[in-house]
Amino acid sequence: MTKWYALLGLLLFAAPAAAVQGPGEDPRPGGTPAIAPSFNPVTAERLNNSDSEPHNWLTYSGNYASQRYSGLTQIHTRNAGELTLQWAHQLRILDRSETTPLVVDGVMYVTEAPATVIALDARTGSRYWRYAHGIEEDLDNFCCGRNNRGVAVLGDRLFMSTLDAHLVALDARNGNLLWDVEVADAHSGYSKTAAPLVVGDKVITGIAGGEFGIRGFVDAYDAKTGERVWRLYTIPGPGEPGNDTWAGDSWATGGAATWSTGSYDPELNLLYWGTGNPGPDWNGDVRLGDNLYSDAVLAINPDNGELQWYFQFTPHDVHDWDATQIPILADSRFDGQDRKLMLWPNRNAFFYVLDRETGEFLLGKPYAKQTWAKDELDESGHPVRIPGTFPSVEGNTVSPSIGGGSNWWSPSYSPRTDLLYVNAYDGETKYFIRDEEYVAGERFTGGGGETPLPADKYVSAIRAISPQTGDMEWEYPIQPRSTSGVLSTAGDLVFSGTVDGFFFALDALTGEERWYINLGSRVHSAPMSYMVDGKQYVSVAAGNVLFTFALPG
Amino acid sequence: MTREAPLPKALLLLGVAGVLMAGSLGGSATDLWAQDDANPFATPMDRRAGETLFDRHCSRCHGLGATGGETGPDLTTGQFRHASTDTGLFSVITRGVPDTEMRPFRRASSDQDVWQLVTYLRSLSGGPRVEVPGDPSRGERLYRGKGECSSCHIMDGEGGRHGPDLSEIGSRRSPTDLRSDLVDPDERVQPAWWRMRVVHRDGTTVSGLRMNEGTYSVRILDDDSNLWSFMKRDLAERERIETSSMPSYAGELSDGELEDLIAFLYGLTRDEG
Repeated sequence: MTKWYALLGLLLFAAPAAAVQGPGEDPRPGGTPAIAPSFNPVTAERLNNSDSEPHNWLTYSGNYASQRYSGLTQIHTRNAGELTLQWAHQLRILDRSETTPLVVDGVMYVTEAPATVIALDARTGSRYWRYAHGIEEDLDNFCCGRNNRGVAVLGDRLFMSTLDAHLVALDARNGNLLWDVEVADAHSGYSKTAAPLVVGDKVITGIAGGEFGIRGFVDAYDAKTGERVWRLYTIPGPGEPGNDTWAGDSWATGGAATWSTGSYDPELNLLYWGTGNPGPDWNGDVRLGDNLYSDAVLAINPDNGELQWYFQFTPHDVHDWDATQIPILADSRFDGQDRKLMLWPNRNAFFYVLDRETGEFLLGKPYAKQTWAKDELDESGHPVRIPGTFPSVEGNTVSPSIGGGSNWWSPSYSPRTDLLYVNAYDGETKYFIRDEEYVAGERFTGGGGETPLPADKYVSAIRAISPQTGDMEWEYPIQPRSTSGVLSTAGDLVFSGTVDGFFFALDALTGEERWYINLGSRVHSAPMSYMVDGKQYVSVAAGNVLFTFALPG
Repeated sequence: MTREAPLPKALLLLGVAGVLMAGSLGGSATDLWAQDDANPFATPMDRRAGETLFDRHCSRCHGLGATGGETGPDLTTGQFRHASTDTGLFSVITRGVPDTEMRPFRRASSDQDVWQLVTYLRSLSGGPRVEVPGDPSRGERLYRGKGECSSCHIMDGEGGRHGPDLSEIGSRRSPTDLRSDLVDPDERVQPAWWRMRVVHRDGTTVSGLRMNEGTYSVRILDDDSNLWSFMKRDLAERERIETSSMPSYAGELSDGELEDLIAFLYGLTRDEG
């Protein structure tokens, strides 16, 4: 790797790494931190400028650009080998954890399945409070596990999605319930698992249920009252532009769920949200057409919920390749110009670079094994399908797999290396089509898949991709398949994990291994980093335990 | 979850025994049924109903046909990680498996749905019982003698370490499957029985069963039953061998002998009593 920033990285590390200090942590002479209470209200201003307080982790993906990048440098490529366990927090509910904690001035907010928040001292893992949202025991019309991925914060309030499709506001200081609104009817197959995103005075949130014939939407709620301010349906209704991309009445049960967290550009005042598969997942015959706005990214005016532009990655998807990845916003050079980019390693195995101001397609290349389209997208960024790759009654084997080249687990972007880091999977699925009647609240998928070979025959890799070329700069193979998110840091480290319980750190420039540890259970979440009292920590959930590491001393 | 449904006395007694055995509090109607060993819904029609239920509720994780998906294991091998009996399968389906995506199956409108799923899952391995022509006692002598099966396979607690436990093989494999296993062992080798050959950087070569392999390391049971764990970074060479270590018995045993051996193996069934 000969890029100029490699040299810059070396120069920076020639000087001792400077620890970033935050409010309430000004070191006194002799290095003793001042005693100050934990937690200060998180204003909209703080959220807009979250990069200026890298000791905190104020949104699900670390900042509005969703880069899952920490500006902290205390842990770096030369000392990562000394990382040591500081504390572990055992989640009480034995569901696999998918949470990313927030950290606000020394207080950590962790979620637990199905809809519980725990506030911890981020230095020790000791508990302040715990809030458990009651869920009907028999509720089970949701897909893919009882999950909760995290909370959002504004002022001294937290906001959480619940599995029974509610949105709740809690007092960040003691966990008291402030309001609780039903976003949609859980018994009709609507559910909520993703962390909301706060923009201004609104709580923006999506919905899950793409396997139950729902009609997806993005909602905004007043943070103070819980009243809904706007709703943008991800499937246009009759008479609206795009409704004619659905045959007959198929739009009404067309899915296009919004089950992960979006991103926000304060300068452009644009909100970006990914949409999921059209329903039924595998039987496209009953919903002929492009099926807008499924498998797309929507650029939304957060003030009124109006759609500004969209880009559909997979028109008329028949493989369940949701575009519910985290939209990564990066300011970088493209074709010799400074551009406001959006980077998107899609579940359909293509990596996309878009202009996030206009939605213009700039670049697209496969980043994981794919056999369903030509490797070159057309001029507008649409896939050129290879004939005979649709699901069939007998089964049709296609790459990527149902799980995709990647999925909801977060990728990361480091502005220092100007590389995107994604956990990619080179898999395949034998896809089947089935006739299925829509029954409210029941699964509505129209087929399914099976994995043709034993799981041990397929591999994952952390891949570092250049936004300028879409080319892979390096890769770090993982065996067996991994479903972990990725964190990059200003210490030029990339953290991620494996399904057999390993958590590891790589050199962000070269992909070389710097450290790993066996945590004993699947890492199915994304790591994050924060600092308290001058000490940098890295946290990750594995199995149902949250582990936190730091350098010794 | 505790249901307060009135229950027949016999079931209540059964339920009390079940609670005592399981050491758990609060038995539900589901738990009570689950203590009964016989699957009451095991007809071909129940199997078809079970398949429909499976496609709808289970195939997303376990794959259509239950051959395994990206998150759920293959359920067609006749061996289940969390259950060995029908009762155990019933329990796993209704209670789920903690710390996994396997949630309790609560869409069941009745216990019948769950038993039908069990019937379907059972049908995926072994199939319905059939008559076989061979002589099991001659087959057993072949197993222990000429066939040298017990040098690798364990049966009822006795035998080798380098092949699957055959104590209940007749419940999982049909006579046709067993013939295929014997004459064409490479046809179907589960990853648990793949082998590995590695060369350590100090020159030591180790070959044996690949017990477990990940990104960083591999564990091997060598042919002398020594346990090895290697960091991959310390290996100069490594090779995964996905063929069977079992020789083909085609030509080694006569047709009649094969029939006898199959009859013996097919008679090794799960005791549901």
